[in-house]
This record gives sequence, C-alpha cells and structure tokens, in this order.
Amino acid sequence: MDILSIIFMLAGLFFLIVAAIGVIRLPDVFSRSHAVSLTDSLGALLMLIGIALHEGLGKNTLKILVVLTLLYILNPGIAHATIRAAFRSGLKPWKKESQ
Amino acid sequence: MATRSRPISSEFLFLKALALFVFWVLLSGSFDWVHLGLGLICSFGVAWVNSGHSPFVPKFRLWLSIFLYLPWLFYKIFESGIHLSKLILHPSLPIEPRLISVETKLRHQAAVVLFGNSITLTPGTITVEVEQNRLIIHAMDKDLGDDIESKQMESKIADIFKNEEPDI
Repeated sequence: MDILSIIFMLAGLFFLIVAAIGVIRLPDVFSRSHAVSLTDSLGALLMLIGIALHEGLGKNTLKILVVLTLLYILNPGIAHATIRAAFRSGLKPWKKESQ
Repeated sequence: MATRSRPISSEFLFLKALALFVFWVLLSGSFDWVHLGLGLICSFGVAWVNSGHSPFVPKFRLWLSIFLYLPWLFYKIFESGIHLSKLILHPSLPIEPRLISVETKLRHQAAVVLFGNSITLTPGTITVEVEQNRLIIHAMDKDLGDDIESKQMESKIADIFKNEEPDI
C-alpha cells in the first residue's frame, strides 16, 4: 500500500513540476493558465489520492474527498473567470509567427 | 431560468440540513453532546436561511448519470494531461494556441455548464466565453481543438440530459 501511495505522489509531483515549468516557458496568459489548471486537475488529484491511500479508510480520507470535490468544482470556475477577464479586456491570444 | 426560481420542499430542507450536519461531524470529529448539539442547530439554521430558492433540485437519476460520466472524464483529463505535458517539456515547444468557436446542440443550462466545466477541467482546453449555446474555447494545439470539435464529449452530456425538459 505504501509503495502504491508513493507512486501516486511521485506521479502528482511530476505533473506539478511540469506545470511549474509550463508557467515559465509558455508565452501568454491564455496558455499559462492551461499549465496552472494542470496543477489542480492532475497534480493535486494524484497527490491527494496518494495521501488518501497512505491514510487508509477513515476520517482523514473523507476530508480529502471533500477537498477533491471542492477543487474539481472551483478549479474550472476560477480558470474560466481569469481567462474570460483577459479575453474581455481585449487581450489577443499569442500565435505562432508562421501562422 | 425555470429551475432557479423553484421553491424547495420541506424534505429537501431536511436533506440539506442533514448533509451540512454530516459535513460538520466530519470536520469537528468530536462526538460529545455540546459539539453535536451546536452542529445540529447550525446546520438547520443555515439550511433554513438558504431555503428561499435553490438551483440544486434533487433529481436522483440525473445525478447518478452525471456520476457515471465522471470516470470517462477522468480518463480524458489523464489523456490530455499527458499530451499537454509532452507539449510543455518538448525542447522546441510545439504549441499552436487557437480560439475555436463551438455551437452546441445542448438545450439545458445545466448541460452547458457541465460541458464548459468539463472542457476547462481537461488540460489544454479552456472555455473562454459562453453565450446561450455558443462556446468560445482556447485550445493549446490542433489535436486538443479537434478533440472538442469531434463532439464526443458533447454527445455524452446530451445523453445524460436526454430525459430533462429543455430550458434554453
């Protein structure tokens, strides 16, 4: 069980690191927010599953489930609100020069 | 807006208070009379204060089919998460961001919300703007954009809501 939880946490860590690299490498608000939402939708998910497997069935695992549910409701809302604000303020998405 | 102005029934008030009470017990973790009593008073108080109108009408069948849709959504999130990670880690950063406009055939507000949220949850695509049933979506490359335009997700959501009254 411990090995499984470590595997899940490492996978989550991988996506968190990729998201951090993405925020630095990607060119504009629109594409950066994709990287940010990767943190919540996969990084946090795998991390919290790892913690839940470590804790076993009980009160703490239920709390983690509540956190996950809230994350999955709030994450798209926040990402959408940020991007819509950027779009409405007239920001044009970055495009490749060749296009 | 038909569902939003529907007044809720007393058994739904009770259900809401019960859910809040379970949440209270989960967070407090103590089972003595003071904590349980305070929690009971608070959860009924909060449920009563919020008893005016509620967009969340309990429809067991609908929630069950939304629940059954989740595993597919998680699979999709995983698939495109790996795709996006490849794009980010690739030395030459082969991204082609684009805005695509999608006209859905969904005729329920809740269905459009579910569709928009699913798109935003899937890494690499974000819902930028929603008007009735036209969505503007920002996608990171051609594959991710084509995935939305293939209507696979949309038809799954249309299946969930096929027995409901249209409200758009």
